[in-house]
Amino acid sequence: MNFLKKILAESGKLFDEGKPLSFAYPLWEATDTILFSTDSQNKSGPHIRDNMDIKRTMFFVVIALIPCYLFGAYNIGYLYSEAMGISSSVMNDFIIGMTYVLPILIITFIAGAICEISFAIIRKHEINEGFLVSCALIPLTMPPDVPLWQVFMGTSFGIIIGKEIFGGVGTNVFNPALTARAFMYFAFPTKISGDKVWAVGPDGYSGATALAIPANPVEYDTASNLFAASTQFDYSLTNMFWGLIPGSIGETNKLLILLGAIFLIYCGIASWRIMVSCVFGLVFTSVLFNLLSYLTVDGILQSGGTPNAMLTITPLQHILIGSFLFGTVFMATEPVTSSHTNTGRWIYGFLIGVLTVIIRSINPAYPEGVFLAILIMNMFAPLIDYYVVQSNIKMRLNRNV
Amino acid sequence: MLKIKVKKGHNINIAGAASGEILAPQKNTTVSLSPENFRYIKPKLLVKENDSVKLGDPIFFDKLNPEIKWPAIASGTISKIIYGERRAVKEIIFNVDPQIENDNSSGKDKKLSNKDDVVNYLLEKNMWPFITQRPFNKVANPSDNPKSIIVSLANTAPLSVDYNFTLASNKDSIISALINLKKLTEGKLFVAVRPGEFNYLSDLDFIDIVEVEGPHPAGNVGVILNHISPISSKDIVWTVQGHHLPILGKLFSDGIFDPTMIINLSGPIVKNPSYFKSRIGASLESHCKGNLSTDKARIISGDVLTGKESMMNGYLGFYHSSISVIEESFDRSFIGWLHPGGSSKYSVFNAYLGGNKSPYSFTTLQNGSHRAFVPIEAWEKVFPMDIYINALARSIEANDFEEMEQLGIYECDEEDVALCSFVCPSKTDVGAIIRKGLDTVYFDK
Repeated sequence: MNFLKKILAESGKLFDEGKPLSFAYPLWEATDTILFSTDSQNKSGPHIRDNMDIKRTMFFVVIALIPCYLFGAYNIGYLYSEAMGISSSVMNDFIIGMTYVLPILIITFIAGAICEISFAIIRKHEINEGFLVSCALIPLTMPPDVPLWQVFMGTSFGIIIGKEIFGGVGTNVFNPALTARAFMYFAFPTKISGDKVWAVGPDGYSGATALAIPANPVEYDTASNLFAASTQFDYSLTNMFWGLIPGSIGETNKLLILLGAIFLIYCGIASWRIMVSCVFGLVFTSVLFNLLSYLTVDGILQSGGTPNAMLTITPLQHILIGSFLFGTVFMATEPVTSSHTNTGRWIYGFLIGVLTVIIRSINPAYPEGVFLAILIMNMFAPLIDYYVVQSNIKMRLNRNV
Repeated sequence: MLKIKVKKGHNINIAGAASGEILAPQKNTTVSLSPENFRYIKPKLLVKENDSVKLGDPIFFDKLNPEIKWPAIASGTISKIIYGERRAVKEIIFNVDPQIENDNSSGKDKKLSNKDDVVNYLLEKNMWPFITQRPFNKVANPSDNPKSIIVSLANTAPLSVDYNFTLASNKDSIISALINLKKLTEGKLFVAVRPGEFNYLSDLDFIDIVEVEGPHPAGNVGVILNHISPISSKDIVWTVQGHHLPILGKLFSDGIFDPTMIINLSGPIVKNPSYFKSRIGASLESHCKGNLSTDKARIISGDVLTGKESMMNGYLGFYHSSISVIEESFDRSFIGWLHPGGSSKYSVFNAYLGGNKSPYSFTTLQNGSHRAFVPIEAWEKVFPMDIYINALARSIEANDFEEMEQLGIYECDEEDVALCSFVCPSKTDVGAIIRKGLDTVYFDK
């Protein structure tokens, strides 16, 4: 170990100011502090410091995501075997899935590292560990058969436009991982729009996703009945909870997402307020819509057009369908782009829940509403904070009169 | 009686708390008075090197406010005057002569009936610097009319002196000090205590007792004021350090200046952490020498959160009552950020397995690199005031005067946010930001 330390210390001199390699100092700093914890000293102010740092914070989020990766890989293999009509072992399924997940993961990290490191060098800031989380999140939001060049494009766009042009971690407005996802959604709609099923299978293999079923019903019925009538995949509540359904790589198993949420809340890293209020918002709006659908179909507000089956999705179905939980736990809680005040966090989360249902149900052209809802609320988070802080200012003014 | 229950905050479980016996230090042959301990003053010396002085004699005055003079904190000779950049006076070192010191019977009880009497008495005795003010945490201006006066006898900072123990024998002088402090304000005189301590104070009908419960920073005057009587931009509140009450009390009742007080020496690498019967500006060497288990020590005048880094040959700050010593560590552990936990890791986050249980040996390690600020509700966990500290820090960094005032910069001081810096995963020095904001608004006024 001492040998390695010595090499690092010696090589570090090459990166000092005025030396030929000084431009790459952030790269050396990152390597150095990943291998050995920093020996930076408390200078003034508190002479002692907590053992939590950004490296560990970000690393913990990545830990919370690992189970989603493992299950995602297995699920791809499982659905593949089902579609091909072959019986296969769990291990075999997992390996098949990994052949799809690993390339996406590697390409994401290559693209992310190139962007982050070059910006760190150009802008002369430290390489922030936050990019690890962004890069760990992006593959989980991808369909398994997404072309790798699109992943590269999407990741670069997410990191650069979502984060770096605003000044890097800490000053970004939009969640970089979701920016990447949104870019791909609108740039390559044939691969990633989300109405057709995302599973690997024989050529031309396709089907309807859970959200697409009530969005485009052959004949109007309630969402529950439509799900029950769907034969290609098992869209029952239990199966949607356990996640053996097609979807983005990381979002299908809800149990693992909930475990991740508990882990992050327990460690004090992710905001439970945002998670809880997201669910509140979703339940509130979906109950409202259920009521509305009841009134329009059977009740007094009978309208002329075709009734919207999306309005009949129950709150529990909304929670389990699609990426709502994944987005709530891992995306909405991103600390920089969410609200920075506790009151703000409640409002921010609630509105994400509300917008998710609105985008899903009222405008079925975008079956998956979560990522758009979060991005929209990312945009409004500073505004929410502004009003929360203004109320504090007003309170202080009144107190001082 | 007012009661405050503070929930947000954290008592740092640091090793090396002083035990309950009072020792005598090795000879305090030199003591020091440093103008650097006082903010926003321009000191002008009234003495030269080798002058002989008596306790309480004027040593220097503030050019900006010439009526405020600083007292000699020892009888003897001025052995050395240390200058800093541009010949600013950094430190005045006294050689203590015990012979003259004991011959200190000048005073006589004087009838002080109103504010002017008390102010003039303190100014005349050169004792005014004991009175400080909020906002800005500086020496008070005698011509101000404070909204209230507050004294906190509930010390919650890590490894700080326990006033219930150190001031146990000072009942009469504390009461004498409080009686006269009350004359300084038309408002209230708040005295903060922990439940069950200083019970005799409840007999004094002229003070308002504030019972404080909860973790640090519950005992800070800034936090208490925020709960009971928040400071606005026009308000000024005066305050006195708890350990200075007996000194003021004796001055009022007997007319003598007695600079002795009980301080503590504590910290993880102190062999025998204990209390000492010491004095203002005492030399650190006389307490620390031979009492540290390693040479790589950072000796701090004050507590580990807000104290000032000093050296073996340094001195206790004017307002400080404790010496804390921690190890200067440069240890680099392999892949430290992956460490599972155990007794070697301390965190207010549940990020390590089985930590925080036994008293932890903190070192000077920052435990992480400085990074851009990521708001994961860390500051808010330990900041018990109704101020959006995050928004305030931003307005300070943006140099937005108006917003700083609106968000309550006047209610904060560095010590109130020290825990925020302690917990911050990005290793931001929040105290420095708040001080920058206070300086900005101070010089703008």
